[in-house]
Amino acid sequence: MLLIECPWCGPRAETEFSYGGEAGIVRPADPDALSDAEWADYLFFRANPRGAHRELWNHAAGCRRWFGVERDTVTYGIERSFVLNAADAGPDSDPDPASGSASGDVVQAVGSPGLEGRAGARTRQGE
Amino acid sequence: MTIPAVQPNRLPRGGRIDRTRRLAFTFDGKPCEGFAGDTLASALIANGVSLVGRSFKLRRPRGIVGSGAEEPNAIMQIGEGAAAQPNVPATQVELYEGLVARTTRGWPGVSFDVGAINDVFGRVLGAGFYYKTFMYPRSWWRYYEHAIRRSAGFGHAPGEPDQDRYEHMNAHCDVLVAGGGPAGLMAALTAARSGARVILADEQTEFGGSLLASTESIAGAPAAEWIAAVGSELREHPDCTLLSRSTVFGYHDHNFLTIVERCADDGGSSGGGTVEGSPQSAVNPVRERLWRVRARQVILTQGSFERPLVFCNNDRPGVMLASAVSAWINRYGVLPGRRAVVFTNNDSAYRTAIDLADAGAEVAAIVDSRGGGAAELGRRARERGIAVLEGHVVSDLTGRRRVRGVSVAKWYGESRATVSPAIRIDCDLVCMSGGYSPAVHLHSQAGGRLAWDDERLCFLPAESRQANLSAGAGNGSQSLEECLADGLRAGKEAVSRLGLKAVAMSAPATSPFAENPIEALWRVPAARDPDRCAKQFIDFQNDTTVADIRLAAREGYRNVEHVKRYTALGFGTDQGKLGNINGMAVLAETLGKAIPEVGTTTFRPAYTPVSFGVGAGESVGELYDPVRKTAVHEWHEAAGAPMEVVGQWRRPWYFPRNGEDLHAAVARECLAVRNSVGLMDASTLGKIDACGPDVIEFLERIYTHDVAGMKVGRCAYGIMLGEDGMLMDDGVVARLAEHRFYLTTTTGGAANVLGWLEKWLQTEWPDLQVYLTSLTEQYSTLALAGPESRKVLDRLGCNIPLDNDSLPFMTVRQAVLAGMPVTLFRVSFSGELAFEINIASDLALAMWKTLMEAGREFDITPYGTETMHVLRAEKGFVIVGQDTDGSVTPVDLGMNWLLSKNKDFLGRRSLGRPDCVREDRKQLVGLLSSDAATVLPEGTQLIEEPGSPPPVPMCGHVTSSYRSAHLGHPIALALVAGGRARRGETVYAALPKRDPLPVRIVAPVFYDAGGQRQHA
Amino acid sequence: MPGDNVNMPETSERRPRLETLVGTAESVDDARVEIQVLPDRGFLNLRLDPRHDDGIAAAARVLGQALPLAANTFTTGVHRVYWCGPDEWLIDADVERTASLRSELAGALTDCHAAINDVSSGHAAFGIVGNDARIVLAKGCTLDLDPRAFGAGQCARTNLARATVLLAIADDPPGCKIIVARSFADYLHRWLALAARQRDASS
Repeated sequence: MLLIECPWCGPRAETEFSYGGEAGIVRPADPDALSDAEWADYLFFRANPRGAHRELWNHAAGCRRWFGVERDTVTYGIERSFVLNAADAGPDSDPDPASGSASGDVVQAVGSPGLEGRAGARTRQGE
Repeated sequence: MTIPAVQPNRLPRGGRIDRTRRLAFTFDGKPCEGFAGDTLASALIANGVSLVGRSFKLRRPRGIVGSGAEEPNAIMQIGEGAAAQPNVPATQVELYEGLVARTTRGWPGVSFDVGAINDVFGRVLGAGFYYKTFMYPRSWWRYYEHAIRRSAGFGHAPGEPDQDRYEHMNAHCDVLVAGGGPAGLMAALTAARSGARVILADEQTEFGGSLLASTESIAGAPAAEWIAAVGSELREHPDCTLLSRSTVFGYHDHNFLTIVERCADDGGSSGGGTVEGSPQSAVNPVRERLWRVRARQVILTQGSFERPLVFCNNDRPGVMLASAVSAWINRYGVLPGRRAVVFTNNDSAYRTAIDLADAGAEVAAIVDSRGGGAAELGRRARERGIAVLEGHVVSDLTGRRRVRGVSVAKWYGESRATVSPAIRIDCDLVCMSGGYSPAVHLHSQAGGRLAWDDERLCFLPAESRQANLSAGAGNGSQSLEECLADGLRAGKEAVSRLGLKAVAMSAPATSPFAENPIEALWRVPAARDPDRCAKQFIDFQNDTTVADIRLAAREGYRNVEHVKRYTALGFGTDQGKLGNINGMAVLAETLGKAIPEVGTTTFRPAYTPVSFGVGAGESVGELYDPVRKTAVHEWHEAAGAPMEVVGQWRRPWYFPRNGEDLHAAVARECLAVRNSVGLMDASTLGKIDACGPDVIEFLERIYTHDVAGMKVGRCAYGIMLGEDGMLMDDGVVARLAEHRFYLTTTTGGAANVLGWLEKWLQTEWPDLQVYLTSLTEQYSTLALAGPESRKVLDRLGCNIPLDNDSLPFMTVRQAVLAGMPVTLFRVSFSGELAFEINIASDLALAMWKTLMEAGREFDITPYGTETMHVLRAEKGFVIVGQDTDGSVTPVDLGMNWLLSKNKDFLGRRSLGRPDCVREDRKQLVGLLSSDAATVLPEGTQLIEEPGSPPPVPMCGHVTSSYRSAHLGHPIALALVAGGRARRGETVYAALPKRDPLPVRIVAPVFYDAGGQRQHA
Repeated sequence: MPGDNVNMPETSERRPRLETLVGTAESVDDARVEIQVLPDRGFLNLRLDPRHDDGIAAAARVLGQALPLAANTFTTGVHRVYWCGPDEWLIDADVERTASLRSELAGALTDCHAAINDVSSGHAAFGIVGNDARIVLAKGCTLDLDPRAFGAGQCARTNLARATVLLAIADDPPGCKIIVARSFADYLHRWLALAARQRDASS
């Protein structure tokens, strides 16, 4: 069972979260401008990488926030969690203004030190 | 039960058993006796039992080989009735009073097994026998399988419900130490003294591991004293949890480990599990507890398994691991034989020879394949008058149901794979040691790598993928001194990784001495052709032999994973703890490769078998899954309504009167709604408050219809699509204020829809200012439907006018009804004049009772989900998830009128994809069966022509089907390819055990197509 | 949004939920743990942007206490205000005060993007107290419940057994409050009763 770091609540068990697929899939501003093939690409095709994967998770049983996780699909190690946009970064954070929706880059956990202990969250190299 | 006076193989003294506590038990119905502290296996040996089962395939007689988790043969059925446990190794069953043990293999019995004839024909029962033999004809496999499974002789799972209780426990720690032998105790002590939160788990009844079976001393005193001292110190630490009888069986992602603790593994007689003096002690004791541990660091000290040696007939009862024999003598005070031969390729088995001699047994010889024999231990053995045959091997063995003697031959080394003419030695016990394989299971489960060690001849844990360390015998330590030092090292390293300062301490003193290195001896070549000689067993439980592995290699298998599956090597309940490494070595030899090139098979949880019961924990019976109840639930129950399970909800299915069955009750309820008035509890619908300055813009993107055009006080039927254009959910959209909406979702979609809406808000459109709040639990929904429904409300007294002009169809108002505040929706899912009353759940029961009272003169009829389904189907209203399945667009359903052309919304673009505009897509239609009597089963496939040759093309399927009391005949909704253009045509319903029934395609609205009634 | 807070029905007549929500599970009360069915409380759900300083201050004035801005904490005053998410709070108030509190908050936040919903009917609350309370909770909760990790003044939305709950630890008096959706109340109470009765070596 993964230990996922919610940017607000800290590390929590995987059972509190729901999965939202690959992060950074931006909905086309004008769907009608897309060919069927382009629309299908947005709709159906995902990177499915071997290794680092940016994906969306929702802290469904916790603070109900969606956020991003960078997870290694081979080791299942989680490199980091990130909030998705400025509004989520909290009053003290200063997110990259360039980062648009669903592609943000703020790494800092803005919440509590966490109730699950931070042990397994970064376990890629046996520490 | 009569107890035999003596346990013939019990030593007069010694062992860690309590000789004052005699325990009676039965083995295959025979009364036996043991002592507290025995395992079933040690007690069986004490009682002189040597035959404990028949092998899986060849039905050869088998005896106990090991003393722990590795035991492949002594697999028992423990207990009777509901508490019976199949397939338990006798070495892991703690003896208790009244224990009932049965052998599981052998029919009609273990002593005489008709299947033993398989051994005679063993030559044709080689690797892949079943695959090769039972292939043809293919359709017969079901008969083959039945017979094979029965003759396989596995234990029997009890048929009755399990009366025992199980529970789960979540825990967190800084350091989890898996294994409480010398290294584990040392590591746990180091971590605890350094201030870490420690959990120490060990599968045995007491800590100490290999020390429990050893005569060694620590710090100048017997090891037991050191174990006791460490144990009591650890118990003093408030942050240290000691779990004995607890097997760490799974190492999962992110340092999450699972441990099964056997709390009362004794058929329930120990009385554990309740609070002493508690008035609620009627609860059964907890039998097993599943610990779910998140550890910051893990120290793996699970020790090692001794390997068998591979020679002809090495599976006969009386052939045991040398370490097991030492355990029988030193830990349990039993002597498994009177005259022993010890066969080894390393020094450790000399200890067993010494233990045997000291216990009064005769050691006929130590047969050591190494030309140089052992060092210090060789001297000690000779001191006791034991003959040591250096440079010799045991090549064959005589005796069938018990070993009677061995053939010993001179060994010239692997390069000359022949053995000299044999010497014969009589014996009733063979103690074998082929070296030790570290128990690297957990390290491997955690993704860690293994590295072959050419000196110690074993796989050792190499790089870890997770936060773990290995120590002790499981890390290749060979002497007690090494184990203690390695445990100390691991403990210090773990705490320093945690950022704690390791306390200054050192390992206690032992008395080490020099040992000679192990030499490879993977199999003793037979005097005859290795493929035609007597069987040389590698995996005892699955009867995998050297010849099987060689055959697999000859037939082209190269990958060890494939060889495993072809030969069943390591497939048993013991998961090949004894045989795997020997099997890989033989495969490597056959393929001309080095062992590390062949590699190991994958280690997966569980390390040892785990009961289903502990997996379920408390989630059984009424706690199997939450039962969600509406605020009116108690009324429904009192009314005698059978409940329909709808996800976790319980909803009244129908309300029988005077012993009515489902059909009679539903017919009555339907007619009551059509002709007078009915009341339904629709509280399970999802309800969402959506508000904010951008709420219109947000809902415009979510729903397909024109949201902005809705005036305050209006309702609309709203559907939402996935981006793929498929119908996802539906409900009522009500505009309560300029920037405030009240949305309903389907019962099953409530949580998912809210998460989906939040996903778009948070990830895609964070610029939109909208707040969504779930009100599903806050409000109950009571649906009052039927031509008399307005009159019922009038009698209650409402503070707003309810006539059709003031409160027309598809409007919503805040109101006070019978003195209670409500939100009143003029919506209808039945096609009748209807009102949905949303009310705070705390008031819902009072409102329900008030409505029932006020409606008495109209014979107001409570109705359940079944009637609701019939009524909506008569109107052609779909239910998402019943009439749709994730591949249905609104166009397929004929809902084009709901799709705004003036805006974009989720899924709109997909409706123009080529696949979504195909004319032969399945479309919603109505069906009438030609005999006006048959209610088509939901799911029925529709075909074009009766009697078409198979495979018969299917053109659609029935999604909803009911008997309509109002119409007097059955109706059905179906999805039919190109169905909308086919109205009036006939297709055929393929029905089980009867001829296809002609059915006519009609419009999917069977009642009041103009909709006058709901507008009344 | 002025005028937007149309009043959803207020809860004017309430009956104690104890008998309706909690079925026949045996109550547990021994020396080491007690499961309490708490008397009715009023609950308001508040959504507000934490960066909106004026709104946060206005809400605090109405409540007479601060909104907790630190994740997984709560403030205690006349009411209890639990952090549920970065822009979401649950206000645990006297049941008689809930309706007026809701109106006052709505009035004070007319200039903000805010949502205030009475969710009193939608929740039930249990208390668990005693030395073994954390052991009982640990059977169904994956949080680290050690007092050093989850102590007084902290709260968390999480799973307990198969229900989603809000746990809040207090020391006045010591114990844990469990707030759960009403339809799960009977299930959770049965689970708590079993978990409390069935314990031994876990301590």
